[in-house]
Amino acid sequence: MQQYFYLKKEDLGDLLSEINKSHALFIPSKKDDDYIYLSFSQLQPEEIIYSIYRGVEPIKSFLTHSREIVNEYFQSFDSSAEAKPIAVFGVKNCDLSSLTLQDFVFEQGIEADPIYKKRRENLLIISSDCTGFKKTCFCLAVGNKPYPEKNFDINLSPINNGFVVEVGSSKGETLIRRLSQYFTAATTGQIAGSKIKRDNVVNDLSQHLASVNMPPKDALQKNVREGYESGVWKEQMLTCVECGACNFICPSCHCFLLADDMRENKSRRIRIWDSCLYANYSRVAGGANPLNTRAKRLRNRFMKKFDFFPDNLGQFGCTGCGRCIEACPAKIDIREVLKALAKK
Amino acid sequence: MKNIYSPIKAVIENITEETPTIKTFHLKPVEPIVFRTGQFVELTVPGIGEAPFTPSSDPFIKDRLEITIMNVGRVTTILHNMKPGDVVGIRGPYGKGYPVDDFVNKELIIVGGGVGLAPLRSLLLHLFNDMDKYKRVSLYYGSRSPKDIVYKRLLPQWEKRDKFDLTTTVDMGDETWKGRVGLVTTILKDFKVDKNQAKAIVCGPPIMMKFTTFKLIDEGFKPENLYLSMEKNMSCGLGKCGHCRLGKYYICKDGPVFTFEQIKDLHDIWD
Repeated sequence: MQQYFYLKKEDLGDLLSEINKSHALFIPSKKDDDYIYLSFSQLQPEEIIYSIYRGVEPIKSFLTHSREIVNEYFQSFDSSAEAKPIAVFGVKNCDLSSLTLQDFVFEQGIEADPIYKKRRENLLIISSDCTGFKKTCFCLAVGNKPYPEKNFDINLSPINNGFVVEVGSSKGETLIRRLSQYFTAATTGQIAGSKIKRDNVVNDLSQHLASVNMPPKDALQKNVREGYESGVWKEQMLTCVECGACNFICPSCHCFLLADDMRENKSRRIRIWDSCLYANYSRVAGGANPLNTRAKRLRNRFMKKFDFFPDNLGQFGCTGCGRCIEACPAKIDIREVLKALAKK
Repeated sequence: MKNIYSPIKAVIENITEETPTIKTFHLKPVEPIVFRTGQFVELTVPGIGEAPFTPSSDPFIKDRLEITIMNVGRVTTILHNMKPGDVVGIRGPYGKGYPVDDFVNKELIIVGGGVGLAPLRSLLLHLFNDMDKYKRVSLYYGSRSPKDIVYKRLLPQWEKRDKFDLTTTVDMGDETWKGRVGLVTTILKDFKVDKNQAKAIVCGPPIMMKFTTFKLIDEGFKPENLYLSMEKNMSCGLGKCGHCRLGKYYICKDGPVFTFEQIKDLHDIWD
């Protein structure tokens, strides 16, 4: 099957409406300067928009939940039974890139997490190019592009009066075959047009990042490693209130806590997103706590993202989405931490 | 598809009191749990939580397992109050365990501290199954005081074995104690082994592991021949939950046993 199709702008709503019949579709909805995902069924046709940059919620929130039951003791339990498969429209590359990390953690390794695996297999991803960026965006500085390269089913690149639609998976191919009435073959001119738009966004974002002046990406792992004993961690952590927002909003953070929950005389195991900035994150029975200061916990976060993941996966545990910068009530800025480490 | 968070039900058949703070739980799982020596399991008290332990029993026994537990935390306190007949859950086994094939035809120095003798008991029972394979096994065991010695009933039996010797010490003696007094590092000397070839296996609290490692390196043992049981708050056991990271490793899936060579250049390994 060919890779590129053309979708008319006026057909987008009908296409999404069709997808919403087979899936629980979530699409971006504008709220102030941000996008939040809302259920397609709740929105009016005129509310269907093309998002310029990434939404507030990371894609991981469709795959693991902040708190969910994973086991009922000594009983068969299938928490992966969900009524309708989920589809998400408007996913940007910072989130797609984080899926490589989430898949590595939950699908690969010794055993796959069955709950994640089922949701991941069922998830339909309709991604789209960034046509702009937020001030906090820095994907290029960690080696990511502001347009999708992998981990999508179909991707929309806007051109005049329509979209170039790229097929990224067999699931996407099936979708296009099923809804072929909306698609025609893309012309080389249309494809070239979408590439020019991509290049323009890359240029604009590069100019913005030049003013931010982050260290080169090839130096990040080395800087974090060599800054292990530096005072930067303490300096940067003075204002941290240990809320965990940076972790929970991060598309790459995956840590969780298994805990037991007893209700109505029935015990269940629950899985809760955990934060490595919480004081008890690394505490063991008996009270020993290797990460017993906030500075050590910040360092641990950076070692995980910029040392562990490059070593184990060949990719940073940061995709440059900038959400943690916006979420932090203490104004701790991942870009500034990386810059401070580079100066030491 | 298998639910990786679901434990197997196990009945507590018997409980042996080892010391005032340490008990051995004799468990019968409803289906066999096959583990290799040095692997760990997550022992769960339904409704309360779970904690990681390395079984202390013979890995060749498939239908039962024993876990020796010190009362130090929330889950272990409740375990210590349980009675025979009570039900717990077991997930696992996890981790790689001891690389016993590397021990064949070698002189083995085994160093235990306190309740750290529990995983080593499982290793010893594995070795005792076929002692012809090993040149000699020497166990060095240190505990805080005579009353803190675990497996008091077993140590004299082990001592009678061929190709095995035992040296014990306590940090502080009492009126009954006639043996050595001093930290375990004080008995780690005058080795009559080929230090280039001998394997040393260490398990105990972090501070003991640290000074034992330094002492054995000083004595001339090779970093690649030192096997250390590392410990952090392993929760999922599968390298997913993130808690037990040690440098580029997860202790739960890449360990819990590491050679000193593997981890000596990592930060804060003794914390």
